[in-house]
Amino acid sequence: MCFKNLPVEFDASGDARLRGGVPDPYSVQTARPEVAMTEDERVARIQELMARNGHIKDHNMDPVTRVAGALALHVSADLEERRFVDVHSQAPLFRGYEVILMDRDPRDAIFVASRACGVCGGVHSHAAAYAVEMAWGLQPPPLGTVIRNLGEAAEMGYDNPLHLYLLAGPDYSEAVVKRTEPGLWAQAEKWSCPGRNYHGFTTMADLMTALNPLTGELYREGLTFTRIAREQFSLLHGKYPHPQTIVPGGVSTTFTPQTLNEFQSRLSATFDYAQRMVAIWDDIAEFFYEADERYRQVGYRPLNCIDCGYWDDPEAYDATYANCNGWGAKRWSTPGVVLDGELVSTRLTDLNIGLEEFVEHSFYDDWADGRQRYHDDLLGNPLSPYHPWNKRTLPKPTAKSFREKYTWGTAPRWDRRAVEAGAYVRLLNTALAQMHPDNPFYEATGHSLKLRVPKGMQPEAELEWHVPEAWNAFERNRGRAYHYLFSQLVSLNSVLQAHRLMKAGETKVAAVDHKELEKRIPSDERLGVGWWGAGRGWLTHHCVVDQGKLVNYQIVTPSTINASPRDPFDQPGPYEEAVLNTPILERIVEPEDFTGIDMARAVRSFDPCMPCTTHLHTGHATVVREVNTCACGDG
Amino acid sequence: MSARTPSKTPAQRLLDALGPVDNFREREEYGDFGLFAGATLEEYLEPVAKAGVISRLGPLEKVHAFWFSGMSCDGCTVSVTGATTPSLESLLLGTHPGAPRVILHHPVVQLESGPNYLRPHEQALRSELDAPYVIILEGSITDECKALETGGYWAGNGEEPWGPDGEERAVTADEWIARLAPGAAAAIAIGTCATWGGIPSADGNPTGAMSLMDFLGKDYRSAYGVPVVNVPGCAPIGDNFTETVAAVLYFLQGFGPLPEFDELGRPAWQFGETVHRHCVRGAYYEEGSYAEEFGDPECLVEIGCWGPVVNCNITSRGAINHVGGCMNAGGACIGCTMPGFPDKFTPFYKVPPGSTVSTTMSRLVGGIIRPMRMYTNEHLNREPRGDLHDDVPSGWARAKLEPSIIADAGHRFYDMLRRSNDRGKAGVSPRGKREEWTYERRPGRERELPGGADHSGDGTGS
Repeated sequence: MCFKNLPVEFDASGDARLRGGVPDPYSVQTARPEVAMTEDERVARIQELMARNGHIKDHNMDPVTRVAGALALHVSADLEERRFVDVHSQAPLFRGYEVILMDRDPRDAIFVASRACGVCGGVHSHAAAYAVEMAWGLQPPPLGTVIRNLGEAAEMGYDNPLHLYLLAGPDYSEAVVKRTEPGLWAQAEKWSCPGRNYHGFTTMADLMTALNPLTGELYREGLTFTRIAREQFSLLHGKYPHPQTIVPGGVSTTFTPQTLNEFQSRLSATFDYAQRMVAIWDDIAEFFYEADERYRQVGYRPLNCIDCGYWDDPEAYDATYANCNGWGAKRWSTPGVVLDGELVSTRLTDLNIGLEEFVEHSFYDDWADGRQRYHDDLLGNPLSPYHPWNKRTLPKPTAKSFREKYTWGTAPRWDRRAVEAGAYVRLLNTALAQMHPDNPFYEATGHSLKLRVPKGMQPEAELEWHVPEAWNAFERNRGRAYHYLFSQLVSLNSVLQAHRLMKAGETKVAAVDHKELEKRIPSDERLGVGWWGAGRGWLTHHCVVDQGKLVNYQIVTPSTINASPRDPFDQPGPYEEAVLNTPILERIVEPEDFTGIDMARAVRSFDPCMPCTTHLHTGHATVVREVNTCACGDG
Repeated sequence: MSARTPSKTPAQRLLDALGPVDNFREREEYGDFGLFAGATLEEYLEPVAKAGVISRLGPLEKVHAFWFSGMSCDGCTVSVTGATTPSLESLLLGTHPGAPRVILHHPVVQLESGPNYLRPHEQALRSELDAPYVIILEGSITDECKALETGGYWAGNGEEPWGPDGEERAVTADEWIARLAPGAAAAIAIGTCATWGGIPSADGNPTGAMSLMDFLGKDYRSAYGVPVVNVPGCAPIGDNFTETVAAVLYFLQGFGPLPEFDELGRPAWQFGETVHRHCVRGAYYEEGSYAEEFGDPECLVEIGCWGPVVNCNITSRGAINHVGGCMNAGGACIGCTMPGFPDKFTPFYKVPPGSTVSTTMSRLVGGIIRPMRMYTNEHLNREPRGDLHDDVPSGWARAKLEPSIIADAGHRFYDMLRRSNDRGKAGVSPRGKREEWTYERRPGRERELPGGADHSGDGTGS
């Protein structure tokens, strides 16, 4: 019984059905999560506070830099109470990919959808391939799936260091900390790093200096490793971003021992680097926590999160919806949804039917006008009218109004709750579920993930990522560092699989040739979904093919989820919730000293990636929260 | 036939709709908000990046570069971070002799956020910058006039107090470009969206997306008299962009030649050739061999590759650090560098109709060339010593002897032709060597050497 808000229950065989006797079961009035405060109450409270406290001031951080794409944050900060009383996050961009994809030959989907994001430059073509090959009924041969896994592990090898050192890293650098927290800098000069044997920095001050933008060693080393990983990706897929070799039913890569060797040799260089990365982000978290416990509240959110799982089992994956719970469970990282720290489901069908998108506060017209094309998924599980398969994309740019429409982003919810997406959610689900395939390199314990690292210049090691009590800026960054290592171990597992398949003579990389591909474009009405992931976690593409063409195409990206605006239940999106829980800890003598570094760390820790989010601007977000209480506002 | 040229460019239309701006925020209004390091990236890097005359080799000490995102996926930015010749960091840190340091104003790279990030943009607008600036656009231009109709916008790049009564309002990428283009030293479009419209402008798009050239019009010239420079590709090769920027900078420094641009404003040395001409699979085409299945090593034209008619250099340059390249890895060219992309190439994975004529012809020619090459290749795969001993000393395969007397005669004739004007055969004696020690090409001779069956001496051989 994973659903608490949607009126969905399960029969003895585990099939979902609507609970009987609920009129208009998916109405936003019917199934509502509990919320701490309605929007009206919240606005009233903010106005009351503003009237009382003249020092509360609005700040407009537009653009927020060092995020991919465009993001703006509008905050009301109470510098005396040192908290944020209001926040709106806004992504000011619409590009219309979903609209362009419709009315096209399904063979175009992979290349067109890829252009949704150039930062996550490979994941969209993969998600599109998974979606259309389900509709097409094409099962990739094992080597095709392994090559996809290799490429996607390489993509994480680029994505994670890009974020940690180029985007987020400067927020923890000497250049910034010296200015925003001089007291902390003084401590950093004396703080001896526990991980110095792994990262080579004696004091935290040394480490922070290496994080300086451009001039710092870690910044430039990060850039170098993103390039090595992109070389790996390009060996398999031609280029990054926007791979050229992902086809429905597999890949078109010419995969030879030279390809495999050039890939594997680059992979070998990443393990020392991964150990260094983990030690650095472990030390940063420990240093900040030790200096001031309140840093645990920066970017705080409880463990409410979701992920589709990532990297398929080449033997299990068959591109069917009917078997998706089976092959989903065998992914290298396990699908799942975690609510309040509890893993409530690992089934892809549950993840799918619980997903809804709301546009109450977005620059789109509502489509759920009583008509609903699909009432069930392909297995007879009930679907909401707000489900992506039922969604229509109806853009309408209008003037920004926080009470009405202010964002190009939508509000995806699961079981009507705000859940967070992130690469680190893969670690969490995998650690809790203990379902991952057997392998020499990692093992879930139910409360942690043990990662065994082959030797480089550093000796072999077993590192352990522990499930944190909650997410915050430091745990997200730490999780991302461990995820980098995890992804490279998946890569090593996949290299071994590639060797075995080549040894067995299974060198076919695609289900059918291009002529057969054309012949097998279905002429009836078909649904497809690609459950995949990006550097920021969850990614789905839902498609509908009819008479051989794409008649609907819907993308839900991780940053759409994280940057989402208010939903019809007045719940804030994850960025806003995180900012509202963030204390203002930086040094402020005069009001003009306020830089907003704490909220910047909070939001950047999500690794915002806005190009595919299209646009968001969350409205009058939110609960005015005491910084020392961390109750989650989403029920 | 009269050209359907509207009286105004889309840029003029937008500026007319928005009107002039003269209201600017004071620094005191926002203080250090978003200025996390208490300094801008430019100020922060200056002690390291500022170059002397020995390094910069010309009059320019620095150049500002304003990077705008239209309808962009940020893939061009990502590509540029992958560039190594020259690298992005070398341009920003002033470690590339000959180039002035580049003061990049880029949302993905910048240390500072918010109004402190926008301040130099405002200074450029008011002609208060301390150095020349270029504008760079990634992503398509949207038709913001279309969004204005319903009171909204498509692609905001920050807010300024330019609304009614000094209210803050979104400033779109288009508006920044329209206002800053006339004063820019150069306007550079990076990536296929900005150069030609790209996927956001594809059939069925809701935003009226267009290219930078479409937006500024054909009469646009920068302050230095240059039309829009276009570096296409989806995503472009990072090195194509940084190389072009460097070439322009060398010219501005006075020691480089004026870079050659083609009629569409592309760097001619990068886009003058079709991608097929340098394709690693091109020779399969010549021999009429085509991939039939995905993953095959042969020419990809028949699974939908447009390479023979597409201007691009990825097969010779690779995608990053000379690694990758579409066809190198097995990906058919979909024309992503071209003005006609994507709608003149879809549906993908379909054989380009025009290729049928040339593939048929190369099949015919290849049907003759390929067997002849295999014939010679087989001959060349034998050591001369093997020919002498009539044996292939490989344990891997059946010894491949000369297949027939005719083939042998053919190869002898071929060798005769090959050596017909070989000057090594001239009658003059090689005075510099001891001719009697030249190894005699006679198989029977080996038996007479020490260790050989017919060896009669009492040497060291057993």
